[in-house]
Amino acid sequence: MRTYFDINTQFGRSSLARFGEAATAGDLLTAMDRAGVARAVVWHPAQVEIYPGEGNTLTTSMIAGEPRLEAAWSLLGPVTNEVVRPDFFTAMATAKVRVLRAFPSDHRYLLRRAVMGSFLDEVARRRIPVLMSLERGMSFEAIHQVMADYPDLTCVVCDVGIWGADRQVWPLLDQYPRLFVETSLVALEAGGIEAGVRRFGAARYLYGSSFPARYFEAPLLDLEHAAIADADKDAIAAGNLERLLKEVTL
Amino acid sequence: MSTSLRDRFYAEGRLPDCPIYDLHGHWGPHPAIHLPAADPAIARPLLDQANVRRLVLCHHYTLFTPDIGNRINIDTVRAMPDILRAYMGINPNHPDETARDLATFDRYPDVFVGFKLLADYHRIKVGDDRNRAVWEFANARRLPVLLHTWGGSAFDGYDAVREVAERYPEARIICGHSIHGDWDHAVELARNFPNLYQELTAVPDERGPVERLIEGAGSKKIIFGTDFPWFSHAYYVGALLGAGVDDESLRDILYRNAQRILGEPAH
Repeated sequence: MRTYFDINTQFGRSSLARFGEAATAGDLLTAMDRAGVARAVVWHPAQVEIYPGEGNTLTTSMIAGEPRLEAAWSLLGPVTNEVVRPDFFTAMATAKVRVLRAFPSDHRYLLRRAVMGSFLDEVARRRIPVLMSLERGMSFEAIHQVMADYPDLTCVVCDVGIWGADRQVWPLLDQYPRLFVETSLVALEAGGIEAGVRRFGAARYLYGSSFPARYFEAPLLDLEHAAIADADKDAIAAGNLERLLKEVTL
Repeated sequence: MSTSLRDRFYAEGRLPDCPIYDLHGHWGPHPAIHLPAADPAIARPLLDQANVRRLVLCHHYTLFTPDIGNRINIDTVRAMPDILRAYMGINPNHPDETARDLATFDRYPDVFVGFKLLADYHRIKVGDDRNRAVWEFANARRLPVLLHTWGGSAFDGYDAVREVAERYPEARIICGHSIHGDWDHAVELARNFPNLYQELTAVPDERGPVERLIEGAGSKKIIFGTDFPWFSHAYYVGALLGAGVDDESLRDILYRNAQRILGEPAH
């Protein structure tokens, strides 16, 4: 069994209890072990439901001492000096955080140069992956906008939608070499992984589950038996994410 | 919970002793989505890889273009006869076509196994009088009728489905998408009507409903389907494994129930 490293996992309790959520890091690890997932980048619903600052802190504190879990923090625009302060990258380094998530709809800001200014230039220069979910308030128009403003940004497009999104995702992959796609719903499309890898290469895809909303096993089984080379499967399962994280400088 | 089928699906992907019968398929391209598997040269290896023994489909063109109609279903099935069968697509907005199609049903025993109604899209309730001849035909012969069903729909939601289940107790009613979102009613219907089954297309992309349907209705009332060439068989099998479905229930869902409905020999 190859190693799986999930880029798109949530844990912790949400205000509205959801089916099968992992209340603690230990619960999440139990679910991962059952599915055969070795490691995960995780976030906590409090990042959206209460406040990104508190949510970030909670995420980090709840996975303390669990080397298989790595926190993703939420960012905000720098203008209000709330979460993104001058010491933001130092705080990330101290907390060993190498991944960011953007929820511009929930947090009521626009993810574009006029709002984000040089902050996202710095995120791009440090090669910090920023996760953007189509099911969490990002639209394809918004992703086009932020990538046009910051073409070197390391962007991971997540939760691309239930209906096949190749017509939306492929132009972004064509245009921006630092844009990657998480597989939780790419794998739902029959032949979706194979078609994407044929056109763009395996390096642009990262295994993700969107747990607890979706099953670890579904995109995993699709990738495991996809008609692509074993080396490509290894890369999508874990290698690409490991490489991206090694490139981050804090 | 760990099962031997689970371990084998992980390791092998296709299991000769556990084939897949997909009773909710389509074929061909779609206006709103790029479907890689719309190309038969791509579809065939995907079906083989997943060990799909039977895919019962209704071509997209049939459902939306009366000027093409069911002819393309016949051509599609006959191009891949070892795996494919078709539902005769019925669009009650064009009753003359329906009458002509029904009159020819028996000419194609190698193609048609039943009927497909897409009421939400055709905007005519499943039990409408314009569908009466189709229902009576299916009822008399105990044929499967695949319905697109969706929670809250006046055309194919709970009340509309209940009405045809009561009226046509011999037809094999397959509720495509399991009255999506109205899971409690889906369970109730499957439990109360021996001739009614819930089908999984568009259900396993979210955790919770699969578990609820199987626990409430029992695995013998659940039919496997994927909307192929939309959705991946491996993804859906993975979701069932993720839902902790045990081996016997998995076999019911993946092929046993479908074999019974289609009148095919048990595997």
